[in-house]
Amino acid sequence: MISFFRMMYRGEHHFDFPALWRKALIISGLLVVVSVGALVVRGLNLGIEFEGGTSWEVTVTDLTIADVRDELAGTGAESGKIQTLGTDAIRVRADLDVADDVAEVTARLASLAGVDVTEVSVTTVGPSWGDQITDKARNALIWFFIIVAGYIAIRLEWKMAVGALIAVAHDIVISVGLYAVFQFEVTPATVIAFLTIMGYSLYDTIVVYDKVRDVGGRLTVTGRYTYSEMMNLSLNQVLMRSINTSITSVLPVVSMLVIGSLFLGALTLREFAIALLIGILVGTYSSIFVAASVVAYMKEREAENRATAAKVQARSGDTGTRRVSDEDVTLAGIPAARTRQPTTSSRERSAGGGSQRPARGQAAQRSAAAKRTASSARPGQPPKPRKKKKS
Amino acid sequence: MRQQLTFVIGIVALSVAGILYTFVSGNEPLLGLDLQGGASVVLEPEPLPDGQEITDESLDQAVDIIRNRVDGLGVREPEVTRQGQTILVQIPGVDDQQRAIDLVGQTAELRFRPVLEFGTSLDLTPDATVDEESVLQLRNDPSPSGRLRMGPVPLVVDQENEPGQHLTGVAVESAAARLTPSGGWAVNPVFKSGSPGIDDFNALALQCFNLQPTCPTGRIAIEIDGYVESAPNVQAPAFERDVIQITGQFSTDEAKDLALALNFGALPLELTPQESRIVSSTLGEDALDAGVFAGLVGVVLVSIYLIAYYRWLGVIAILSLLISGALLWTAVAWLGESQGLALTLAGVTGLIVSIGVSVDSNVVYFEHLKEDVRNGRTVRSAVERAFPIAYSTIVKADVASLIAAVVLYWLTVGQVRGFALFLGLATVLDLIATYFFMGPAIRLMAARGFGDRPRSLGIPDPTGRDEAMDASNAATEPEALATGGAS
Repeated sequence: MISFFRMMYRGEHHFDFPALWRKALIISGLLVVVSVGALVVRGLNLGIEFEGGTSWEVTVTDLTIADVRDELAGTGAESGKIQTLGTDAIRVRADLDVADDVAEVTARLASLAGVDVTEVSVTTVGPSWGDQITDKARNALIWFFIIVAGYIAIRLEWKMAVGALIAVAHDIVISVGLYAVFQFEVTPATVIAFLTIMGYSLYDTIVVYDKVRDVGGRLTVTGRYTYSEMMNLSLNQVLMRSINTSITSVLPVVSMLVIGSLFLGALTLREFAIALLIGILVGTYSSIFVAASVVAYMKEREAENRATAAKVQARSGDTGTRRVSDEDVTLAGIPAARTRQPTTSSRERSAGGGSQRPARGQAAQRSAAAKRTASSARPGQPPKPRKKKKS
Repeated sequence: MRQQLTFVIGIVALSVAGILYTFVSGNEPLLGLDLQGGASVVLEPEPLPDGQEITDESLDQAVDIIRNRVDGLGVREPEVTRQGQTILVQIPGVDDQQRAIDLVGQTAELRFRPVLEFGTSLDLTPDATVDEESVLQLRNDPSPSGRLRMGPVPLVVDQENEPGQHLTGVAVESAAARLTPSGGWAVNPVFKSGSPGIDDFNALALQCFNLQPTCPTGRIAIEIDGYVESAPNVQAPAFERDVIQITGQFSTDEAKDLALALNFGALPLELTPQESRIVSSTLGEDALDAGVFAGLVGVVLVSIYLIAYYRWLGVIAILSLLISGALLWTAVAWLGESQGLALTLAGVTGLIVSIGVSVDSNVVYFEHLKEDVRNGRTVRSAVERAFPIAYSTIVKADVASLIAAVVLYWLTVGQVRGFALFLGLATVLDLIATYFFMGPAIRLMAARGFGDRPRSLGIPDPTGRDEAMDASNAATEPEALATGGAS
């Protein structure tokens, strides 16, 4: 375990992402099917903001739901939904929106809890309001997708726009699906959390794609890698970034979740936190496993890349293993990712890498080895900067 | 190098100045109702009966009238704003919330009507005078009993009288309560000239003055939403539009209320409350405390992780976070104070999430650095080379976030809008802090000797690589390993 962490920390890990993609496809497929199924079968538990009605919240201790229901008899709210929030607050939801009826329930809840009526939080929403909010959100989403797709197509490439949108859709479907499966209540807070998830997922995907472009721009010219291999190398390089970023993003959200449960009034905070936690994890996962694989799939079908793949296959004679070895990468001027051979030293491996692929340029291998020797020959002494510093 | 130093000093000075300015000018973030308690209501105009479009002018006018009405209540810092085709009224604090919501939610149509009968000739018991509900039911009943109106005394008014049809609040220009020379209170309404205006009022006044069958009592009722505020006796056949006086046994409050009603009674639109929300101040404050506390704990956890993993680079990342935090606080406080933009719980959440994204800008750069050093570059040269590449990635990704923020801001209402604003703000500040602080600061650090000790930057020392790789026993692991394990 320790050596696993060390390997990750030093960037010496080498995962075979294309192989993992196949597993991920099954997992994602399952999750999406379950989510869509739950949405169709169970539907979403929409809050009053979307359906109309009134909800009350009040801080109260030592009361059972039955007590509250009895107290509300005859007001029209007794048939509503009554929940306890943690141990010391209750929430009542009912299909009432006439001011007098609402005021009556408020008064009864206040007297039951032994507090002033101003201590009861009341939200009333008209029946058509939710539709309007939903329409607006839907419009905003459609515009957002169009603009962002255009933006990614211009700044990166259109296939990446497709991949990014598929990944975002994947995240949203799974997050919403979880709400359907567990019947969490969907409130405006949830909608905002879903929008945040969307933004985060997209952000993360763009960072990953940019790395792929960066590496791809230099590797493709060598004509020695299939697109998937190149993608695999990029993903290995960007992996620690993704892990660290999701850790630093999840920490505040977890703190929101834990602290939200300690404060009575922080219900909304908790609702946000659950949705965000799911979303950040799914978003990080989808950037590497969904967004990347979609682009790799489309790219591998381009004529140019197929030709490269055929050449690579002809040269190496085996396509089953992913070959990313040191000397080529160093030759291309980008950082190395190592093959997975944790017991051998790096020097041995570079020699082994060479023998695995005899067709590789001997000169390149020598120069790479020379470079490495040069940097390790002077331990403790700062190597001379290769580039002039800007001042 | 000089430029880097200028950037770092400049941005630090700017953040400190921002905090000082906020402190000195006493700016404080304006808290949304969900954080401090209060009432809010979203009003939407009913479609006009003849299928006309609802104009911006009429909505703006309605906003003005509601604002005056709420101001008249004496609540502190009410906010009445138009959001697209709807009007949002927010009343902070806990006093009289329900009354305020009722008041702004009312159509509150002002009408002048001739009084047909005065007093309780309709066999109403005294108790019945408080039964407003039955009166409301009777309101639109065309029979004489249907014209009953409640007020200081119940009375019957005419609904069909021709001049009265035009005499709504639209006819009134303004109204004021004044002390009369005799020491009592009077209300002076000023009508608009022409029609609707003084002409209609005079036509009605003439009928009442002559005690014609259409106005046998000689009184005109001033009615708001079916409630008669006052029913003065007409003492002249015709009036000048700006020298009309309503006198009576008014108390100060009654006179002022009547003037208020005349001034702001009529809305050009019929508004329906679509969403009303009352947040108790206890729950609001709890939410705020929890949000702030969660944010602080989140920052501390993230800081610990960053230092454990990235050492001195982590320190720079934290300082960078503090700088965007300081600028953000300045902006939020300024927006609250001068633009009335409130920080809601959704906004707070957006800010907490933006901690992760801001830190990412650092992580992207740091990982590039590590990558380059692993590839045999010196820390110093890697620092120079990696920044433009990393920054370009950060800009690409942040622009996508900005697009999200702008689209959401323009196309949505309410809470989502507040969230979008703060998300956008945090993203822009992240770009600024990264470009002007984080990048230059790390270049300076690399130049000042940190470049020779990569491990102090959380970068595995490339020169010690082979020895470390050969050591398969965990106990002999170097410093860098412990960090990886602890994380």
